[in-house]
Amino acid sequence: MTVLKTSMRNFLAHKGRMALSAVAVVLSVAFVCGTLVFSDTMSTTFDKLFAATASDVTVKPKDAGDAGDEGPKTGKPESLPASAVAQVKKADGVKSVEGAITSDSVTVADSKNKNMGPASGAPTLAGNWTKNDLRSMEITSGHAPRGPTQVMVDADTADKHDLKLGEELRTITAAGDFKAKISGIATFKVTNPGAAVFYFDTPTAQRELLGATGRFTHLSVTAASGVSDTQLKQNVTKTLAADASAYKVKTQEETADESRESVGGFLDVMKYAMLGFAGIAFLVGIFLIINTFSMLVAQRTREIGLMRAIGSSRKQVNRSVLVEALLLGVVGSVLGVGAGIGLAIGLMKLMSGMGMELSTKDLTIAWTTPVVGMALGIIVTVLAAYLPARRAGKVSPMAALRDAGTPADGKAGLVRAALGLLLTGAGAFGLYTAGQADKASEGSLFLGGGVVLTLIGFVVIGPVLASFVVRVISAVLLRWFGPVGRMAERNALRNPRRTGATGAALMIGLALVACLSVVGSSMVASATDELDKSVGADFIIQGGQQSITVKAEKELEKTPYISHFTRNKEIDADITLPDGKTTKDTSLSAADPTYAKDLRRDTIAGEQSAAYGKNAMSVGEEYAKKHHLKVGDKLKVDFDKGRTAELKLAAITSDEGSLDKGAMYVNIATVEDYVPANRMPQSEIAFAKAVDGKQDEAYKALKDTLKPYPQYKVQDQTDFKQDLKDQVGQMLNMVYGLLGLAIIVAILGVVNTLALSVVERTREIGLMRAIGLSRRQLRRMIRMESVVIALFGALLGLGLGMGWGATAQKLLALEGLKVLEIPWPTIITVFIGSAFVGLFAALVPAFRAGRMNVLNAIATE
Amino acid sequence: MAARARQVVKAYGSGETRVVALDHIDVDIARGQFTAIMGPSGSGKSTLMHCLAGLDTVSSGQIYLDETEITGLKDKKLTQLRRDRVGFIFQAFNLLPTLNALENITLPMDIAGRKPDRGWLDQVVETVGLAGRLKHRPTELSGGQQQRVAVARALASRPEIIFGDEPTGNLDSRAGAEVLGFLRRSVTELGQTIVMVTHDPVAASYADRVLYLADGRIVDEMYNPTADQVLDRMKHFDARGRTS
Repeated sequence: MTVLKTSMRNFLAHKGRMALSAVAVVLSVAFVCGTLVFSDTMSTTFDKLFAATASDVTVKPKDAGDAGDEGPKTGKPESLPASAVAQVKKADGVKSVEGAITSDSVTVADSKNKNMGPASGAPTLAGNWTKNDLRSMEITSGHAPRGPTQVMVDADTADKHDLKLGEELRTITAAGDFKAKISGIATFKVTNPGAAVFYFDTPTAQRELLGATGRFTHLSVTAASGVSDTQLKQNVTKTLAADASAYKVKTQEETADESRESVGGFLDVMKYAMLGFAGIAFLVGIFLIINTFSMLVAQRTREIGLMRAIGSSRKQVNRSVLVEALLLGVVGSVLGVGAGIGLAIGLMKLMSGMGMELSTKDLTIAWTTPVVGMALGIIVTVLAAYLPARRAGKVSPMAALRDAGTPADGKAGLVRAALGLLLTGAGAFGLYTAGQADKASEGSLFLGGGVVLTLIGFVVIGPVLASFVVRVISAVLLRWFGPVGRMAERNALRNPRRTGATGAALMIGLALVACLSVVGSSMVASATDELDKSVGADFIIQGGQQSITVKAEKELEKTPYISHFTRNKEIDADITLPDGKTTKDTSLSAADPTYAKDLRRDTIAGEQSAAYGKNAMSVGEEYAKKHHLKVGDKLKVDFDKGRTAELKLAAITSDEGSLDKGAMYVNIATVEDYVPANRMPQSEIAFAKAVDGKQDEAYKALKDTLKPYPQYKVQDQTDFKQDLKDQVGQMLNMVYGLLGLAIIVAILGVVNTLALSVVERTREIGLMRAIGLSRRQLRRMIRMESVVIALFGALLGLGLGMGWGATAQKLLALEGLKVLEIPWPTIITVFIGSAFVGLFAALVPAFRAGRMNVLNAIATE
Repeated sequence: MAARARQVVKAYGSGETRVVALDHIDVDIARGQFTAIMGPSGSGKSTLMHCLAGLDTVSSGQIYLDETEITGLKDKKLTQLRRDRVGFIFQAFNLLPTLNALENITLPMDIAGRKPDRGWLDQVVETVGLAGRLKHRPTELSGGQQQRVAVARALASRPEIIFGDEPTGNLDSRAGAEVLGFLRRSVTELGQTIVMVTHDPVAASYADRVLYLADGRIVDEMYNPTADQVLDRMKHFDARGRTS
């Protein structure tokens, strides 16, 4: 009982000092719980949506893609004949059957050619309005679409773009484009996370979305009362009899599951990535907690000695410290769980701002969330406090009689140095091996090991490095500040273990920042380099999620100032090789012959342009080697949805360069001979070259041509590179933002160390003030100590991170990351930023030191 | 006069709980003199020293250092004044553990950004007998040596006045005698002004003048005392304290 009481009192007596550690626990736990609540809420939202939209039983053509698959390459979804409606209706237990149409190969624009689709990456869906849609939506204004010139839009999209009844929208599909006026607005009864949905009447949807009459993409079957979905599915399958093999029949649950799986992967990736960052924050928090308890134990040495002298056992002392940690863990975790729910709601609002609608109505807090949060928070805190607690237990009763409150921590031990060097050396070896690896998969193992080992090594060796690095930093920086600078240096050096641990906390976050920035900028540099080397086209035209329609292609081709226009399509085929083996579903790159100029690839045999000859093709080096192919071999190519062609291997492209690496080229004209026109895929990407000297005019003309197509983007090489850079930059910024959490915790650590150091040095500060150190000088001294610690952490972190990044680049050079680019502006900014972080962290401790009463500080007792 | 106090009152709290530590004190500290302040615990002797040294503020009255009134000065000015014109020797914890002996000695001048007078510094170091230990850290010095460093620090910047707060309180008699000897010599030979709070009659006997404080008032003084005289006087006070 006494142990608990002492712990309680100590805990309460040091509320202030515990507060920062508690904040670290709160932040980390909040991040974990926030992530869990957020991703659970997303799952709930999607689950509700999928459950609401799926009919009791759905019948789809066999070839239809599953939910989440890419849209059909032809731009027209797979369909089934209307006759199937009557056929299915005959099944037992069917209440009703509706033919439905949905397509995501569609773009809707307003009169100003603005894309009405979501900017968030969610799809634009268009279909016919059926009774089945009433499960999830209701018409809240106007009426359902009737006739070829009416469209109904979902309320979220209408709100976002301020659409009113009667407004004219243009719908662009593979079949062409057409205009329709808004006849009604339908509101989702469940939360629609982001898709924009447009409805037409059935004939319009069939004609425009499928390019055919009398066909549907799927049938929505409703069960008569008392018939289960499973029963209904069986009945429907039985009724379809021989035709059943042409269809996929699924119950509501199966459809919902399939949809859930399609988003589940993405949700999981997001969840685990965020949990990873929370883990890093926890790791950094551990340093903070260890430091706090070490300092508390050091300050309390006399007190602990007294307790030992009057008969407390080692175990009791040890336990009293652990109980304090437990209290800290409990308080921090409870607050953290609460804060996590708040964080999740904040994230949801943020996502809503970015176009992903989430409603707090769906807020899902699984019982595991608080349990996981609490358990993590408490376990981590107690584990972190274990070392200091053990040290407390080792305090001898004699300490009570000794004068000094703080035992000198002494020089970092030889053992520590040796162990640290060993770990760092092993890590460095791992990194070196990774850099030399022939295969990325082998090397990545060494890279991972190397990263972990060097990190641990640096943490262990940190105190030893601190003595050295702090001297160097001080020699460069602090000598300008005279004696105040010298005292700051000495203070930073007096307890290398503390400085080491505080710096290490910052090091972790910054190492990751440095590593990712090196990889990111190397990615941009490598891609730019390769674009310069191999891309001959002046302009690149892409559609994001939408492939380029035939109509758009024709218009692009006719654009003035263009010397040539190249289409590039992707088509699958089963290839049967001379040795009789078949590679199934192999992707071929069907292009116009000018593609050989637009994207130059070296060949190891034959000419690249020869691949575009009649009934010719090319393969990549690896494929050719694997199957012992040589130029002149005949390949049987069974095109998807087409006939089998016998093509002559005309060229083998080298595996040098990552753009189109291993691509198999074939002329579009060749493909057209074997694949019916309505089965030809649309272009994924297209290229254009300007007439000599007319670059600017051509660029402008292409932009004009694409004005009515808001879904496509034309970029010249400069803009394309900039875009690439921006995208990588955006991704990095997001990661930096998430790492910000770990860095905040590290900053709290610096604040904590300084605050406790100031308390520890009360008498020293009093003495200095008595003999004439001004408040300003005192504050400066503390700030400089802080800056030195921060810069120490930054130097280690950036150095380590750049090493990791360079190794990763070397490893990924095999995958096309050929150029190593160290982003010096970023690195230097981070370094200088760290100095400011140091200044910022010292604000409060310096202020408090300045305010200290000189007399109290020098009081002898 | 090196320092003067006029009608100085220092009181803590207010109303019923008001405690008067210094009660209308007038005192003159002569230049080039070694003054000891004695008195029983709670007599206000330390408070008086703190106020004279500009470490503490007074409730009313004036304190002058030379001709400068220090009562009412802002912290910044007071700090400068302590730095440039006052030296300190405390009972314990006089030195910064991170600095070596020499750095500790020159610290006030370093803080002020002044170059120490090399010749004077050597003389001071020579006088206190630390020549061989200047590169040592405080933890590597004995208690007596540490106090001698503190004395050297106080002397090195040639302050107008040095205040000592029980400077030998933590030392054994031999080390104490050594330190007091240096203080005495610095007054006699170098003309330094020193004010020292002590409760040790032997320490007081090194002074030119002893001031006796009781209940926040100066109740007596004595010139050129011997240890026995001081002891007698103390006994007298104690007896009076017991009877009153």
